[in-house]
Amino acid sequence: MSYVQRRRFLWVLFLIGIALIAIVANATTLARLQFYQLVQHSSAIARVRCLRADTRLDNGEIWTDTVFEVVQHDKGFLPPEIVVRMPGGKFQHLHSHVDGVPEFRPGEEVFLFLTGRPGRQFYIVGWTQGTFRIRKDMRTGMEAVTQDSADVPVFDPQTKDFTKTGVKDLRIDRFLEKLNKEIYRQSL
Amino acid sequence: MRDIIRKMAATGIALLYGLWSVVAAHGYSFNQIVPDVRQPASASGGSACPVPAHQLTAPGSIAVQWSTVLGTNPQTILTNDQTPTGSLNEIEAVIQQSRGVWTGVAATSLTTSSLGPLTRVASANICGSDGLNSICFDQPDMAFTPGVLAFTRVITADAIGIQLGSVVSSEVGQILDADIYFNPSDSSVTFATPAALSANPKSYDLESILTHELGHTLGFSHSAVWSAMMFPFAPAPGTFTGVRPTTQQPDAPLADDDRTGLRTLYSDPNDTTYVGSIQGHILPANPLSLPTAPPGVTGIFGAHVVAVDVSTGNVIAGTLGGWSCQAPGPAQFDGSYLLDHLLVGHTYSVYAEPLDGAVSPSDVTNALVTLCRNATTDPGWPPAQSCVVPPVNQQFTTRTRPAP
Repeated sequence: MSYVQRRRFLWVLFLIGIALIAIVANATTLARLQFYQLVQHSSAIARVRCLRADTRLDNGEIWTDTVFEVVQHDKGFLPPEIVVRMPGGKFQHLHSHVDGVPEFRPGEEVFLFLTGRPGRQFYIVGWTQGTFRIRKDMRTGMEAVTQDSADVPVFDPQTKDFTKTGVKDLRIDRFLEKLNKEIYRQSL
Repeated sequence: MRDIIRKMAATGIALLYGLWSVVAAHGYSFNQIVPDVRQPASASGGSACPVPAHQLTAPGSIAVQWSTVLGTNPQTILTNDQTPTGSLNEIEAVIQQSRGVWTGVAATSLTTSSLGPLTRVASANICGSDGLNSICFDQPDMAFTPGVLAFTRVITADAIGIQLGSVVSSEVGQILDADIYFNPSDSSVTFATPAALSANPKSYDLESILTHELGHTLGFSHSAVWSAMMFPFAPAPGTFTGVRPTTQQPDAPLADDDRTGLRTLYSDPNDTTYVGSIQGHILPANPLSLPTAPPGVTGIFGAHVVAVDVSTGNVIAGTLGGWSCQAPGPAQFDGSYLLDHLLVGHTYSVYAEPLDGAVSPSDVTNALVTLCRNATTDPGWPPAQSCVVPPVNQQFTTRTRPAP
């Protein structure tokens, strides 16, 4: 087999591999949501800053309530501080964990796509899919946004192509433009 | 392979060399738990080294109950046999088959005899923190938001003698309760048994999702190996993971990475074949590139270290490296990794890559953020056994050097 043939063969193997992977379009616990669906399912979307997290026992289950300061809200009404509840946490000697649940560090800023009502806890739509982390480039000061589930390839049967529809390293102004455009489109 | 070599030859240096007498980052992404060293050593073991969450494997230890109440509006579980009895039998067969996938792995202490009875309960809401492993198909939970298909809650004890329901922990890291919840209330989501899947191509394969979730009930976190059952993303509707289990090969749906992980988590003391190990450090070429906070980080944390069988090209195991621990702890973030329980007599190539592909650090949170406890997280925690988990390092590329 010549080098060219071998290379072609490896490419075919690679593409078959990608095909096998790309049918993996949905998280174990999560069904893939497109950006417009995330917006559609969210009662509120906001840029928030993580303040602290507390663990609570409610209805016999352990939950982590993370308190966020709302920096700016793009959809829905939110008070200055919100509580976002996720399953799992540590209570006395019991450690409850659920894989795939996003965790946050104090001081971290993220965009969250939320469901819930003010006065109660909020929940993140699609867990990692509704979590968009903000990273600041220390050299330029530019901020970029990356969705926790950004890198999962999705096969589009119409175009017969593989795309990563998640948001990754998108400049924040572009992200906000995309977000506001979708919110506006859905308001029509 | 050329890409791997090119990547590995890029900018950083991965120094791969042997280590002795140090327990390195065990596991292929297991849920880790730090024993509560504020308790007497008789209850905590006295060490703040993380231990993986695990089930007991004594005969009959892992019993499971499942709720025979199925959602009808919408109907979420689709079976080939439409009769009430036949439908339940078909679902139960899937549960049995999925359990058998994990006990079918050779050279582990988790065997068919480890499984307790699989019992039916005619009540919808049997999942809860009660010390009973349960599977629920029609139990609403606040954690379900749009897009969430199923999840598993695993409750682990950080000391001996902790009671949950009627279960009392006899080991640190013992799983006291593991419940699997399927979303019962999303009209757009249905699950089909293998027999019903082809007729319902828009449904999710019940067996694939259940087998993955059962992996969580055994202590697995997610794997960054794409072919692994514990890869965090399930097959698209109408498809299933790997191949179906058979009588000859009940563990057929698993990848080698799952099997190696299971052998590490539930090692068989009598095994003499899967006893090879590869360990080393991932270190930066320039130590100044390491984070200054938290202090004490001397190696790359959170690298995905993969062993490939040279003769087959198959990924045999992948682990999340970056730490080690020696009693009395705490964990040291020195770039250590350990790939354990490899088949002896084979040659492996090892590479390290940042966790920036299809799997991100958020997919394996429980394997990474639970490695440390300190006075902030746990008042009264002894300073000498405190640590802070550094952020996952995703900003490196690697090249290899032969072992000294």
